[in-house]
Amino acid sequence: MSNLNIDSVKERTFDAIVIGSGMSGGWAAKELTDKGLKTLILERGRDVKHIKDYPTTNLYPWEFKHRGEMPMDVQEANPIVNRCYAFKEDAAHFFVKDNEHPYVQEKPFDWIRGYQVGGKSLMWARQTQRWSDFDFEGPARDGFAVDWPIRYKDIAPWYSHVELFAGISGNKDGLAELPDGEFLPGYPLNAVEEYFSKHVAVTYKNRHVISARCAHLSKPNQIHLDQGRSQCQERTLCQRGCPFGGYFSANASTIPWALKSGKATLRPFSVVESIIYDEKKGKAVGVRIIDSNTKQTTEYYARIIFVNAAALNTNLILLNSKSNRFPNGLGNDSGVLGKYFAFHNYSAHIGAEVEGFTEWATDGRNPAGGGYIPRFRNVYKQETDFLRGYACGLGAYRGYQHSHDGVGEDFKAGLSKKEYGSWYAYSHMMGETIPKETNFVALDATKKDAWGIPQLKISVDYDDNDAKMQKDYVEQLTEMFTSAGFKNIKAETNHQAPGLDIHEMGGARMGNDPKTSILNKWNQVHACQNVFVTDGASMTSTSCQNPSLTYMAFTARAVDHAISEMNKGNI
Amino acid sequence: MDRRSALRNLALVIGSAALLPRCTMKMPVTHYSHFDVTMDQESLVADMAETIIPKTATPGARDLNLDQFVWLMLNDCSKKADQQAFFKGMGEFNDLTQKLYSKRFSECSKDQKLAVLNTFEKKPGDKDKKDNKYSKDLQAFYGTVKGLTVFGYTESKYFMTKEIVYELVPGRYNAMYPVKNNVKA
Repeated sequence: MSNLNIDSVKERTFDAIVIGSGMSGGWAAKELTDKGLKTLILERGRDVKHIKDYPTTNLYPWEFKHRGEMPMDVQEANPIVNRCYAFKEDAAHFFVKDNEHPYVQEKPFDWIRGYQVGGKSLMWARQTQRWSDFDFEGPARDGFAVDWPIRYKDIAPWYSHVELFAGISGNKDGLAELPDGEFLPGYPLNAVEEYFSKHVAVTYKNRHVISARCAHLSKPNQIHLDQGRSQCQERTLCQRGCPFGGYFSANASTIPWALKSGKATLRPFSVVESIIYDEKKGKAVGVRIIDSNTKQTTEYYARIIFVNAAALNTNLILLNSKSNRFPNGLGNDSGVLGKYFAFHNYSAHIGAEVEGFTEWATDGRNPAGGGYIPRFRNVYKQETDFLRGYACGLGAYRGYQHSHDGVGEDFKAGLSKKEYGSWYAYSHMMGETIPKETNFVALDATKKDAWGIPQLKISVDYDDNDAKMQKDYVEQLTEMFTSAGFKNIKAETNHQAPGLDIHEMGGARMGNDPKTSILNKWNQVHACQNVFVTDGASMTSTSCQNPSLTYMAFTARAVDHAISEMNKGNI
Repeated sequence: MDRRSALRNLALVIGSAALLPRCTMKMPVTHYSHFDVTMDQESLVADMAETIIPKTATPGARDLNLDQFVWLMLNDCSKKADQQAFFKGMGEFNDLTQKLYSKRFSECSKDQKLAVLNTFEKKPGDKDKKDNKYSKDLQAFYGTVKGLTVFGYTESKYFMTKEIVYELVPGRYNAMYPVKNNVKA
């Protein structure tokens, strides 16, 4: 019997365990197996194999029973996920339904999740803008949160590392606030976007409209072909999963790469209950999981553990990993675990009609989605009555013009007309929010989920800074659109709850001081150095750039450090 | 919709439609999960859809089963309150047709059908929104039939392969696409 147990323990022992198989977990798995480590990848959801498990990817619009619309009973049963723009008939199967994993909203919070291999990297919006020192120096300069323990120079080579492999399209724009990267050719702006870009460049100091940088293979290199991926076909049906591997997802890229090494074991249906801390050894020794099919508990062991469960679930796992040493959650000596949680402020957008440019239209679909305006507020110095600033999505389009009025033969013929209408321009805000102690997540005292794990209680809200920033966005974009000669400008603010931006961050922030942060500058838990957190939970502040690329870079950097520490015998 | 076809055929076997008593026509013939639809109601929506998107040299609403799409979407993708408004509005629509032409919509001539539907449409020269002489329910009924018929048409295989062609793969992106007189140069 004892031999059997020893064998069983041996079978359940790895060099490294990665919790989560999405945007950052996939990267951890790839980097660890590249370095030869026997790695267990735990995923709470089902497996989604590249191409094979993209059931809708090659369906024509008319092949969807409701032409893309979600049935009302599904919408009404899922008020939270139904608010996500991508929860439609072609991709709904990749989203977690509201009743599958309930949570407690002390304040309204839309928790949008993808529980499957690949996580949300399957359905993400693929925007990949680097952060700069204006972001990493932000908290120290402006006096909020804590100082980032790193600067741009620390992460810059790792941005390059992940960009080369993931494939990022973009132009070298030479902007200090949005550093250039290792780019595949960028997707060009259309006539109106280009005009607006030039107008802004000559009208405003330090405001720029550039092609959005995105994780699409505009022109694949050998490293992408080696992953089995090929050129982006400009379908923009990405949320269905791409059979060409035209955009970066863990499913198309990092996960199959890790598995191909022969060093990785992928275990779907594995809900992590907690990380096991060994008091004698003074470190984490493994992970306790609940098989979501059998409800059986199993322990897996490893020298190092990467926590990449996505920001909120990473907080949940750490909070639920209680021991004598850490009664309030793993690494939580400071009491800040779960606190200083933040998100992005997407609460305003603007649209306008554009006269002229009738000699141009666009043909096809732009994978980058159009233009991007890097943050221009409070970059070099504090200049407004709110802290930080916002980036803006920017786009223009022109479609065929059809009259909606009338019935009968002429009306019908009109629907087939290929006559272009006016141009329209639009923008949406992406604002930085300030992490605060009062915005937090915690374990609910009584409510449990289907696996007996405490539910996460979320208490996160906008504040006065966000309201001022929203107002400024509306004013500035209205002014920019007006000065560009756009007409019929309509700005709208919404009351979307935090979370719907799907850029939730923080709770296990990095910092120099273990008294005020959970992770050190290498994403190691200060007080438990063989545990690394490299997803959104680790973020000290939120910047206003889309964060996924930064998670990838932090992950690769942390793996490199972990291996070097292992080799030195430090962990 | 096999059951529906079967019933239609059955009706033809039993006797000519004209001889079929009205009460039979009003019996539910198609069961959807949220409501039943009588043969009268089916013909009304089918005739409205065909009036909106008529058969010309190219297929019309009936050829493309757009009426069935209207019912499907009303059942599957509409709120209960909107479904109730739809049926209330449908009753008012029948009353309106009776008032205008003293007969049911299906019995109207093609021109009469067009005329009835056009009372809901914005006319050339009308500045803002359609006039609100009709009740909310009636407008909702008409708006739903029209909207779903047009949606079904422009998203139909026919339309997306023969009229404005949808390309699944490869897509393409030309940022600067020359246009002359508002059409492809």
